[in-house]
Amino acid sequence: MKDGQSSRNRLIADTFSILARWLLGAAFLYLGLNKAFNPIEFLKLTRQYDITQDALLLNSIAAALPWFEAFCGLLLLAGVAVRGTALTLAVMLVPFTLLVLHRALLLQAASHIPFCAVSFDCGCGAGVEFICRKLLENFVLFALSVWLLAGRGRRFCARYSLAGC
Amino acid sequence: MKDDSIQPVATVRRRTAGGVLLEAVLVAVIGMAFAFAANQMSPCGLVLARNYFPTGTNNSVRAVATAISPAATSGASPASPSPAQPLAAELKQKGLQLIDGRRAIQLFHESHLKQGVIFIDARDESHYRDGHIPGAYEFDPYHPEKYFPAVLPVCRAAKQIVVYCNGGDCDDSETAALLLRDVGIPNQKLFVYGDGITEWTNNRLPIEIGARNNENLRNLKQ
Repeated sequence: MKDGQSSRNRLIADTFSILARWLLGAAFLYLGLNKAFNPIEFLKLTRQYDITQDALLLNSIAAALPWFEAFCGLLLLAGVAVRGTALTLAVMLVPFTLLVLHRALLLQAASHIPFCAVSFDCGCGAGVEFICRKLLENFVLFALSVWLLAGRGRRFCARYSLAGC
Repeated sequence: MKDDSIQPVATVRRRTAGGVLLEAVLVAVIGMAFAFAANQMSPCGLVLARNYFPTGTNNSVRAVATAISPAATSGASPASPSPAQPLAAELKQKGLQLIDGRRAIQLFHESHLKQGVIFIDARDESHYRDGHIPGAYEFDPYHPEKYFPAVLPVCRAAKQIVVYCNGGDCDDSETAALLLRDVGIPNQKLFVYGDGITEWTNNRLPIEIGARNNENLRNLKQ
């Protein structure tokens, strides 16, 4: 009885994990390609964060980041190096979210509107979005990354770990 | 006995964490190599060594100034006061002049009456094809090499050049004007129409669809 319950729970967790991996992979593939095929737009949006005044560095970020996201998305969809990729994405999401939050706070201060009414194109690949929705999305993506990082979602993997499946 | 059973678990966890970290580094390195190669091969990839923003401006200043009413983000006329004054000062510092819609219309009519006034559309090709100020030349400042051969001779011959883009927080018109200045067009001839095509169409002024001077005009007043 207890074994039946336990195997049912495991099945649910496994199914959720596979869906989480595919969802995260598809999201990064979509967002990455959206930006990769409009690099000039992404470059302009990247500039709004004032990360650097150096043209070469700014161009490099805008040129590489979209394709890098698409690459990570593909790895997750195929199930290659899942935990390493999940860790990379989780680490990337933290500074991105902080940058978006910082910019939203600047815009809110300048426009004197409620925080959740602030909307702008953060360069995340999905166009103009309300900030609260964007933060929620990033939180969900981060949570899914952490879930996969915890070692879940091993089924239907081409090569779960580079060291051996 | 208890310690003996805990120690191996901790060691295994440490090893696994190290393995995951190593894997993440590997993913990052291979991913970056892939990303730069993909950008290099992509037909719309960025040229890393090019300075796409010769303006050197802090774009966020203008974006904040125009921000962020829901109307502004949806593309409608912003309800907030126009940020024309700080923009005019910013352009003046660079030797450029800002003009408003009334002056742009005046120059548009002059362009029909006499030679010497031209309009430059600093948006990308698809936006230009969707509709531009009649007679305006296409000049995407992010692909200048493509447009210089057609645009430079007419700019040299012109007495007044009005450069525009979408308006609002778009600074492509400024980028285009500075590019023209940098290749030898005197900045006294260059005027930046700050409110751009958005104001033009909001005022229901005529626009031309497709290529330049193809007579496919749409008069929004009708």
